[in-house]
Parts: sequence; structure tokens; C-alpha cells
Amino acid sequence: MARLIRTEKEVEGRYEEVWLVVEEDSLDQWPAGPRQVVGRDAVRVDGRERATGQAVYTADLTKPGMLHTAVLRCPHPRARVTRVELAPALALPGVHAAIGPGDIEQLTADCSFQGAAIAAVCADTLAHARTALRAIVCEFEVLEPLLDPDEAVRQGSLLGPARERSRGDYERGLAEADVVVEAEFRTQVVLHNSMETHQAVVEWIADGVEVHISTQYIWGIRDAVAQGLGLPPDKVRVVCHYMGGGFGSKNGPDDYTFIAAELARRTRRPVKCALTRREENTVAGNRNATIQRLTVGARSDGTLTALGGEFVNAVGWDGWSSGTEGPMQMLYGCANVKTITYGAKLNLPPMKAFRAPGFVEGTFGLEALLDELATKLDLDPLELRRRNHTDEAPEGNAYSGKNLLECYRRAEPHWERRHEVRARSTETVKRGVGMASQIWYGGGGPPSYAWIRVGSDGRATVVTAMQDIGTGTKTAMAQIAAEELGIPLEHVTVTLGDSDRGPYAAISAGSSTTPSMGPAVRAAAADAREQIEDIAEQRGLKGAPLADVVDVLEDSQILGKGARGPNPTGMQVLTFGVQVAEVAVDIETGEVWVERIAAVHDVGRVINPLGASSQIEGGIIQGIGHTLSEERLHDPATGRLLTTTLDAYKLPTIADVPEIVSELVDEPDAHLTNLGSKGLGEPPIIPTAAAIANAIRDATGADVRQLPISREEMLRALREAEARQKEKVGAPAGV
Amino acid sequence: MHGGTEVVPLLRAGLLQAETLVDIRGAVPRDVAPGRIGAGATLAQLECDPGIPDVLREACRLAASPQLRNMGSLAGNLLQSTRCWYWRLNWPCRLHGGDECFARDGEHREHAIFANDYCASAHPSDVAAALLALDSTVRTTTRTFPIAELYRVPTEGDRRTTTLEPGELILEVTFDECEQSVYLKAMERKRWAFPLVGVAAVRRPSETRVALAGVAPTPWLLTEELDAATPLPRNAYKVDVARALVKRARATIGA
Repeated sequence: MARLIRTEKEVEGRYEEVWLVVEEDSLDQWPAGPRQVVGRDAVRVDGRERATGQAVYTADLTKPGMLHTAVLRCPHPRARVTRVELAPALALPGVHAAIGPGDIEQLTADCSFQGAAIAAVCADTLAHARTALRAIVCEFEVLEPLLDPDEAVRQGSLLGPARERSRGDYERGLAEADVVVEAEFRTQVVLHNSMETHQAVVEWIADGVEVHISTQYIWGIRDAVAQGLGLPPDKVRVVCHYMGGGFGSKNGPDDYTFIAAELARRTRRPVKCALTRREENTVAGNRNATIQRLTVGARSDGTLTALGGEFVNAVGWDGWSSGTEGPMQMLYGCANVKTITYGAKLNLPPMKAFRAPGFVEGTFGLEALLDELATKLDLDPLELRRRNHTDEAPEGNAYSGKNLLECYRRAEPHWERRHEVRARSTETVKRGVGMASQIWYGGGGPPSYAWIRVGSDGRATVVTAMQDIGTGTKTAMAQIAAEELGIPLEHVTVTLGDSDRGPYAAISAGSSTTPSMGPAVRAAAADAREQIEDIAEQRGLKGAPLADVVDVLEDSQILGKGARGPNPTGMQVLTFGVQVAEVAVDIETGEVWVERIAAVHDVGRVINPLGASSQIEGGIIQGIGHTLSEERLHDPATGRLLTTTLDAYKLPTIADVPEIVSELVDEPDAHLTNLGSKGLGEPPIIPTAAAIANAIRDATGADVRQLPISREEMLRALREAEARQKEKVGAPAGV
Repeated sequence: MHGGTEVVPLLRAGLLQAETLVDIRGAVPRDVAPGRIGAGATLAQLECDPGIPDVLREACRLAASPQLRNMGSLAGNLLQSTRCWYWRLNWPCRLHGGDECFARDGEHREHAIFANDYCASAHPSDVAAALLALDSTVRTTTRTFPIAELYRVPTEGDRRTTTLEPGELILEVTFDECEQSVYLKAMERKRWAFPLVGVAAVRRPSETRVALAGVAPTPWLLTEELDAATPLPRNAYKVDVARALVKRARATIGA
């Protein structure tokens, strides 16, 4: 029965209260462990069309008469457009329309960050559009930008009020400490660099609009476009069958969708607006830089008595101040914790969610700090974490499930390798092992719906308007339906990616697609199974295989529907894990190699172990880029971006990928839905940077405090460690 | 245009304008013989040829991704423009005829530590450093000269970085045999990056030559100690890296 509830909804660590109609989740969870289909390796159901190029991504899409768009974007971090003339562009061949400031809300003459959209032109070809764009006359009054995050905090240029979170008595906790460690950490701006850049094809059809878009949230686009264009939402059709990467940056329609919509309206043609790689790496979002000034106090046995931090998120002009303090607040059972987090509003392009926003950065600071503490206390870093582990949530509601100690236990063989790894050090290449813990959300939530139809051929089609953003959730949904119906995986088809062809599905962000959608798909399949069981009873075929029961139905179909039930009341649904990194550091050249990373994560029941291991590998590789080579730089004087191309902005290549070993606890969360599954999209990137930094400390004694760990930072940390060592050794023997 | 791996990006970035592109692949030799390399030989061709000295093979192998090495020619690699991001983004810097080096006061972690007082751009060619260490000779359509004379440090009066005249094509590069040689390269990831510091070292009975990539506006023949470098505030680390790699390179070739 449908039930109206008031509930907390969490996405990317941000909570909001919402009204929801939920249906009771009456199915019992399957027992733990691999089943017929669920819990067993499945290759991607859409792997072949993706690998052969048959899959049509938004970037591949062309429509008859389709026009192409070029967007004039502000080259300055802060400027006022004093003059703009579109006429010269409109006079050029192939050009169909041009729009400028005031034509739509997304085009502005008042530019507060580099890349702000000013005007746009559509033409028969992209080459025509680009030529026309250069013909637009645009003059600027360049203004002084605000670029320094600390200065922004001083001036009160903030996105929202500073966030203060506190429990216990921090000052007393510090007073009770035998050892106090303080350190400042900095993390850089990194770019999502989705392989498919942000883009949309918009066409007006009858009294509605059709939007093909590379997106993580079909239904969010539908509502935002409807609102932006003043249409009823059912007059907006949103389509995304395949998606070439988003990582949090493709949750909304952005400017390009509305630019395409307006140009399509004016020209009565389908219009594509696709960001170039340089635009992508300017305005498509980023993981913002942070400054973290952290303090930890502990007793000599390692018990944490106080944790404190001042966090500055260098947000940019828009976005939000993400939960960089989250790991410090949530990871350990420390009684006295006090944090303050500022979101600095700067004349830099807006941040967007990027794979565990805030927690990746905050975990680097916290877990590196904890290892500095372990060194001071001469304690084993893993033991230090065990001593501060808690099964009682230190703030808020109880955990729905937590197997972090089990993660630590399973990580032990990898941790024990450190003696052997260190022993392979040479005069100039030092080796070491480091670890870091992971905490994050990932419970998903309602609403989400699925339908299913079963034909007399015994084959089933799952219908839902969700998106698979490249993570393999389409395959996972097919597995869940096959398992529930008791039919082979090959007999299930999943159709998704079209808001006109299926019910509402949740956003693919916050590690939520599988935990949000999976239970709905299972419920739909169970609905169909129950009907088939009724038929079996009437045919005297109770217990017979599904295909035998339905084979006489001819054109009749069994239709099932399912909804995602509520999350457990009064509980926080979280994911946990640990990673152990092995590194080699060339102490003369500052080069760092990551040689091996072992990952153990606890995300509840695993639907597809093969898909899960590839998620872990992807997260770790992205984490290695974040740790060692990626950085968006801007000119310190003008704030203009310098590294927006793929030669200057250094993503890791396959040669940078170490041996990766992954393991999942695979214990269903007993309180969470009919599946007990949590999301795995984000957890694997969270502890990677900290584990690498801690391995570097183990190898060399150097405290790296800044990402990326460039040669400059590595050599600085080595020199600092050497000076410290000299002081220590030198003092008693001094003259 | 030969392989196009440099010309096409420059055209796309608007740094190079052309109404007509001439395909010179048929006009430039690409044969490889001991001590003599046609200017059109690809990096991929050279990196696996056992007749090529180690220093050059390694420089080719580490220069770029396999796709780029398959397309990129020897002479094209020698004539690459700097990776200085200000220059690539078409800031009105001195190389573009302006009156300021933005890198000197700005972001210069990848920039020059020698000869950087007028323009701090770093020369990106691994192959050029290898050929400079080999003391190579360049033959063009009009003249023959030591490779060092192909390059020039830009000055107020003349901003060019090479001495090639309009219409002049490099045809081949020649060098004498050597006993031992090596190329070592520091970069920001394992592959497909320009050198932070590249060190080419060549030993012959008469002398040992060491040349560096990524440390000056031209390939840099090391004739003095690294202490003579004049790093900028944020690229002093390059001196340390260069010192370590030069020591190793010398040790590797027994110099």
C-alpha cells in the first residue's frame, strides 16, 4: 500500500527533508552470498554495442537538419561586457541564428568567472559556427578578480554561512592529550574530464521539446528544462541511452541545454550544443581546492581525545561548500570534535560534485594527520585506527550496518607486506606501505520505480527511465530481475534512458543508482513472479520453471511494477573501507611510483563482483591522478586558466596504473531494503590519496602536505624530513 | 606538413594560420642508415632500430604516446614549439611579439632554469637533446651546420627560436658513432608527457657530451655545473632533478 512519509533525502552528503509516497518493501532479503545470478560475475549486457561503436551517445547523435552551436565565453575571471554585436556573425554564410546577453538567462554581460556564457551562434556546421563566433564584436571592461580563498574568508565572500559542527568539549580534549599534532594540508583543483563532453541536442516537436543529453539525471533535466522553458514537465522528453562519463558533473542542464533550446526555438531546427574540450575543462565543473588546518590530540595509547579543523573550500563563483570536514566528524569514535568549514566565493569557475566531493579531500588531510600522529606515538597506523574504531555512531543516528573492522581484518595480509616491501628499498629508491580508511554515504533512497513485462517466451523486459552513466548498472538491474524470476540473465532485457518510456528513476549521483533502483527492479520482478505463480497453480505446474508456466500465453504478457521502499528510519546508511598502498620514491628526483593498491570495501551485498571490481579500479586510477599528476592551474595575477587541454592537464595513463587488488565484504545491510546493497561509485576514490601519502611517509619519513604530490612537493618534504633528522641526530652530538 | 602532430594542434589553437598546407612526406627522405637519418623518419621507426644509438632510441621511445610516435617525424620533433602554457594560449608574450614574459612572474613550474631572463619557455624536444649530445649535423635544402646552430635563444631584437629561413627544409641529420649513450627523462606521469628534465649523455673516446631537454628555451648543452642554473621561485626543484639525472647518466655510460 502507498504510504505518505516525511523523510530525509541524502545526495552527495547533503540532506534535505522531502515528502514521499513510498510503497512497503515486503520482500525478505536473499540470504548472503552468491546466488544463481546475483553475486556472480556478469559481463556488461551492453558491452558489445559500446565496444563496437554501435552505441549512439549524445556526442554521436545527428538529426536531419541539425544545426551546430559555438558559444562565446568570457576569457576573463571578472569582466563587464561593454559592447557586443551579433550582426557580423549573422551576416556570414551558413549561420542561422545568434543570441546574446538578455536573450536568455544563461547569457550574461556581467561575467564573474572565466567561461561565463555571453553569446551563441548556430550554423549548418561546427566550422561555420566557430567562424561566425569569431566575427562577434565583444568588448570588455576587465575587473579585479578575487582569487585567494583565505582572503575571501577575511572579506566575507562566502557561499552561505560558515558551517560549525561540534561535539563534546574540544578544548578539554586537547588538554587531556599527551600528544598534539597540527598540520596544514592543501588540495588542488581537479577536473572531471568526462570522455564525452557536456552536450545536448534539443528539438521542438509539436507543443513540446525533446532533449537528448549526456546526463546523470534524466528526471532532473526534465524538471529543470520544463521550469526554465515554462513548459509542463510532461511536454519535455529527455533521452540518454549511453553516457560517456560524468563523475558528478552532469547532474543538471547547465547553460548549453538552454542555449540549444533557444536556438532550436528560433530556427525550428534540431540544435546541438556541445562543449569543446577546453570549454569542458573550464566550465563543466571541478573538484574545488581546499585548505585544511587540522589538529589531533591523543593519549599515549593512541586514544583520540580531540579532533579539530578549519576547512576552506575554494568553491568558485557558484556551487556549494562540500563536506570536507565529514571524515573528521564521522570516521572515528573521538568524543571531542570541533570543525568550521568556509565556502569561499571566488572569481573562478563553479565547482560541481566530483566523486565523493569533500570526502576525498578531507580524508587526505585527516588520514595523513593520523599517520603523523602514529609516527609520533610510535604506534602501528592500523592499530591506531582499530583503537579508535567505533560501532556506536559518534553523531546522529545509529549505523544501519558497519563492517569496517572486517575490512581492516581482510586488509591485514596486504598490510603485513610492508616489511618485505621496505626491504626492497635501495640507496636511492625507498619503498613503503601506507593505509587509509574510508567512510561515505551510498544508501540511495526512494522514490524510484520499475516495470517489467514477461512474455510467453519466458523472456522479461525491465522498463525504467533510469540512466546508466557507464557504471554497469544496466547489467546489475538485469541480474536482479533474472534472479528474482529464476531465469537466465540472457533472457532479460533492460530498456532505460528515456523519460517518455518508463517510470521515474533516481539520480545517478551519491553512489545511489544500484541501492535506489535495484530494490524497485526486484519488487517489479517479484510482482510478476507472484502472478506467474498464480498461473502455475491454475495450470497444476506449481514449482515448474517460468518458461514452462507461461508458454501457452501467446500474446498475453505478465506485467509487474515495483517501487523503492523507504530507508530505515532513525539510521544512517554509510559505506566503509580501507586501502593499502605500496609506493616507491626516488629520493633524488622526487619521482613517486605507486606499485600496488589493495582495496577492501563494505558496500553491503554485491550484485556483480566483476562490475564492482572495475568500479574499484576506476576509482583508484582516478585517485592516483588526483594524488600525483592532475592540477588545474590558473595564472596567479589574472586568474585565467592555464591547463585546460589534455597535454597540459595530466590525467594518468595506463602506464601509471599499478597492480590493483580488490575485495568486498559482501555482507547485505540487514536494515536496507529488499537487497541490502549500497553504492560503490564513490568509495574507492576516497582513501587513495591518503594511503599513497602515508606509504610515502613509511618509505621516506617525509610528510607530504599537498596534492598533487609533484616532484616539487616531494623534494620539499624530503628536505624537510632530512633537516628534522639532522636536528634530532645532530643535537646531542653538537659542538 | 609531415606527421601533423604539431602543426594540426597549432592550427586548431589559432597559433598558426595557413591557407594551404603542403604535404612534404614525398619530398623529405626517411631512410635510416648508421649515422644518417632522413628527416622524415618517424620516431616509431627510430626507437626500434638497433643501429640507432641508445640515447636517440630512448629519447624517441619516451617522447610521446605510440600514436604520436607513429606519426611524428624526426625533423618535426626538432622544430616543435614550446609547451609554455602562456604561449600556447596566445598570451601576448615576448615570443608572440609582446613585451612581457608572463611565466616569470606567474606559473613557471615547467619552465626554464637556464637562459630564462628574457623568455622562460622550455624547449620540449627529447630528440633534440639526444642529437645535441650526439654532436649531430643538420643538412637542409640550403646548408649544413651543427645542430646547436638550429636553435637560438630569443632576444629583444629577434624573437625567433630557430635559425631556419622561410622555405628551408631539414633533409637529414648525421652523427658519428659513439661508445655509450643514454637518455633519462623526468616527467609528470609515466608516459605521454613532455620532459620536466631530460638528460642525454654520449661518450666517445675524445669527450663526453651531456645535453638537457626542458630546461632552457633551446636544447641545452651542459658545459658548466648545474649550480650555474638560474631557476625561478617555483622551478628550483628542476635543478635537483637535473643534478640527479646527470649523475646517473654519466654513471650509466661510464663517464
